[in-house]
Amino acid sequence: MKFSKYFISKFIEILIVIFGYIIALMMLFAFKASSQLVFGISITFLVICFAVTLTGYLKRRRFYNNLISNTEKLDKKYLVLEMLNKPSFYDGEVLYEVLYEINKSMNENVKKYEMSLTYFKEYIELWIHEIKLPIASLMLMNHNQKNKVDKRYEEQIKRIDDYVDQVLYYVRSENAEKDYLIKEVSLKKIINNVAMKNKDDLLENNIHFISQVKDEVVLTDSKWLEFIINQIISNSIKYKKDKDSFIKLSVNDLPKQVDLHIIDNGIGIPAKDIGRVFEKTFTGENGRNSSKSTGMGLYIVKKLCEKLGHKIKVLSVQNEYTEVIISFSKDDFYKVR
Amino acid sequence: MIVEDDKIISEELTHLLETSGYNVITLTNYDNTLEDILNSNFDLLLLDINLPKVNGEFLLKEIRKVSNVPIIMLTSRALETDEVLSMSYGADDYITKPYNPTILLLRIANIFRRMEKNVNSLNYDDIKVYQNKGILVRNDKELDLTKNEMLIFLCLLNNRGNIVTRDELMTELWNNEEYVNENALTVNVSRLRSKLEDFGIHGAIETRKGQGYKLL
Repeated sequence: MKFSKYFISKFIEILIVIFGYIIALMMLFAFKASSQLVFGISITFLVICFAVTLTGYLKRRRFYNNLISNTEKLDKKYLVLEMLNKPSFYDGEVLYEVLYEINKSMNENVKKYEMSLTYFKEYIELWIHEIKLPIASLMLMNHNQKNKVDKRYEEQIKRIDDYVDQVLYYVRSENAEKDYLIKEVSLKKIINNVAMKNKDDLLENNIHFISQVKDEVVLTDSKWLEFIINQIISNSIKYKKDKDSFIKLSVNDLPKQVDLHIIDNGIGIPAKDIGRVFEKTFTGENGRNSSKSTGMGLYIVKKLCEKLGHKIKVLSVQNEYTEVIISFSKDDFYKVR
Repeated sequence: MIVEDDKIISEELTHLLETSGYNVITLTNYDNTLEDILNSNFDLLLLDINLPKVNGEFLLKEIRKVSNVPIIMLTSRALETDEVLSMSYGADDYITKPYNPTILLLRIANIFRRMEKNVNSLNYDDIKVYQNKGILVRNDKELDLTKNEMLIFLCLLNNRGNIVTRDELMTELWNNEEYVNENALTVNVSRLRSKLEDFGIHGAIETRKGQGYKLL
């Protein structure tokens, strides 16, 4: 806050003061006051005016400078009111009260949306829980009818199940709550679960599934990681090449982290798209060509990895290979429990 | 015994297990679930977590106070916390819906196999089967089998006289982290067959075209 600008903003008050001063002068001259008196009164008048303006300025300066610098410093600017002292001048008080009211109503508004989002999330979780029942029934019914019903039914049921899972993990990845549990998990077991899930797809498409994972243990949530790996494997199956396809999983045990490499020899990702594969709804050239892509899978994968504290990276050369690397940090903190 | 309140799933599970040679009883009334379970006679319990009036995890905890019977938890909630809780309450396995029926059968079979003490000395006629060593023994003569061949042989042996589909064999192999393809399975079966021939067992494995294999 600058004095010069403050002074200019008081333009009308200054005009009024000058106008009053001229009238006073005219009155003094009309009563033929001595020039010393006129001079004395003028000086007093000027000093008083200046003092009033200055004190007004100083009071405001303290309050507003505080407000401005705090707002600049704060990451969450809407919390600035919490750090301000109530001002000692009237217009400042009015401003403070109004800001307080605005803040309060905004908080209520935000809370409303937060609640509706929470309800929505709860409903989605419940709904997924419910929809899994008919899916499970269908799977069992289909199995019990074997020989009469062909394998395509099973594939479609599996697709439905995969898409339902995607919604579930999307909701979980967007939510601020911590609904995962990190513990020591055997990579081999999770990979086996994913392999079993995709067995028919892999065999059908003649994709060689190679796991070189030994007994490595990582710190993660097994359900989430299973979803993550399943998404990556699904992509590998979706974007395979016609001949001699393989998907290879291997582990690199480093001093500070464990890297899981998932490599396929599929169609790869064009160089111009690779930087954007984790973006929401980004489908890229491959997605456009296959029309089965929602652009959500890898986005959710990335979000889940971020929440779990894993790093994920994609390397690819078009028409040659795609490699996904997930890095799990070895954190002693979790082991102590 | 199946405790699952979704009628269709319960029926289909019953059907699935009965065709696999198990005797099944189900619970239809959930007024005194715990007492009803404890008063029933069964070798293995499939227990749903979400039941009317009572929670499966609670039932599990109560049953474990008095019995060591194998229990597999079934649930549609894919939450790690549920699984950890169930396992810590003493569940033998935990399967998330929608489960692959073949895998479910496999897990059940595994639990029963674990319960049998003499896992390592199965017999096929006058031949002793040592699974862990990967050998068959007859009259002090040994036959080495690879891991895959052993898995296939055991799977056929456990279903002796019945047809085992290629899909079932495949599931068994994949479940043991042997991710073979269709060709490799064919090769493995024929190699197992010729090894058995060399060992003096003739025509033991019969091929049923379009259906699977049968151990005579």
